[in-house]
Amino acid sequence: MFELLVSFAKWLEGTPWGIGVRTSLWAYPFTQLIHFTGLSIWIGTNLALDLRLLGWGKHRETAAQLRDDLFAWNWIGFCVAVLGGFLLFSSTGSTFLVNVAFRWKLGVFVPLALTWHIVVQSKARTWGQTSDTPMIAKLSGLAEILLWICVITAAVEIPNY
Amino acid sequence: MWEAVEHWQWVETFSSTGWMYASVSVIHYLTMFWFIGSVAVVDLRVMGVAARKRNVAELAAQVFPWAWTGMVLALLSGFMMFLASAGDWAPDPVFHVKLLMITLSLVATLIVQWGAPRWALSAEIPAWAKVMALVCLLLWIGTILAASEIPAMEGLG
Repeated sequence: MFELLVSFAKWLEGTPWGIGVRTSLWAYPFTQLIHFTGLSIWIGTNLALDLRLLGWGKHRETAAQLRDDLFAWNWIGFCVAVLGGFLLFSSTGSTFLVNVAFRWKLGVFVPLALTWHIVVQSKARTWGQTSDTPMIAKLSGLAEILLWICVITAAVEIPNY
Repeated sequence: MWEAVEHWQWVETFSSTGWMYASVSVIHYLTMFWFIGSVAVVDLRVMGVAARKRNVAELAAQVFPWAWTGMVLALLSGFMMFLASAGDWAPDPVFHVKLLMITLSLVATLIVQWGAPRWALSAEIPAWAKVMALVCLLLWIGTILAASEIPAMEGLG
């Protein structure tokens, strides 16, 4: 399985976009820009829903309303972040694969946080009917925030490994 | 002068203790995404491409307190990271561009925040307001670009 991933990463490194991002002075920061712009929208809209479920902040909208308001751009942000991340991975994928922090990020925390997010987002419609949310909603919102902090921590640690 | 800052005792402790510097970096990324994402949602609403069912004033009132909380934390954490290598950052021209972009983006954000409750009163959001929201969004994206260019061009950060 790992062998397969490595050969996939090697193949990506040889694609025109993989070579482009790796060798051009301008492409790498622009690709980072795509990743970070997507992440801003993704994390910004995720935290908004989580914090509203937690009951932390203004109560102008219910969590259910906020969930519907942000749903489309939440997933647009996700797609942009994945596109940027995929391009960054294409440039030097095989070195990322042997990086312990990267393995934690992509192998453990991202799948966990993403699954949790999908559950929270679908439950928010029932949990968020009233201005005050049930305890389970508060705990779930808090858990999602902590999971994304784990993802970012692993990402920050990548250059140190 | 800026070199000296790096040698203040608490700054040295902070920059040489792995987990401290890493924690502040995590706070910087998290709160920066939180802040920019929150402002972007209001910009997109003003432009008429997000949450069209929701009143602009309502959405802005819900989101802006979070945005500013994130902003303050991003600034504080960013300032600590600056102090850790102040001698390198202070003279860096790309870093100056980043600071200029942050300032311009903040002004644009304040205009959008000021305008949101007013624009909500009219039947249709004025065209100049939509342009202003787009400018605000592009300025924040430009800020991220300036920030990404620093490691690319100067090997800093």
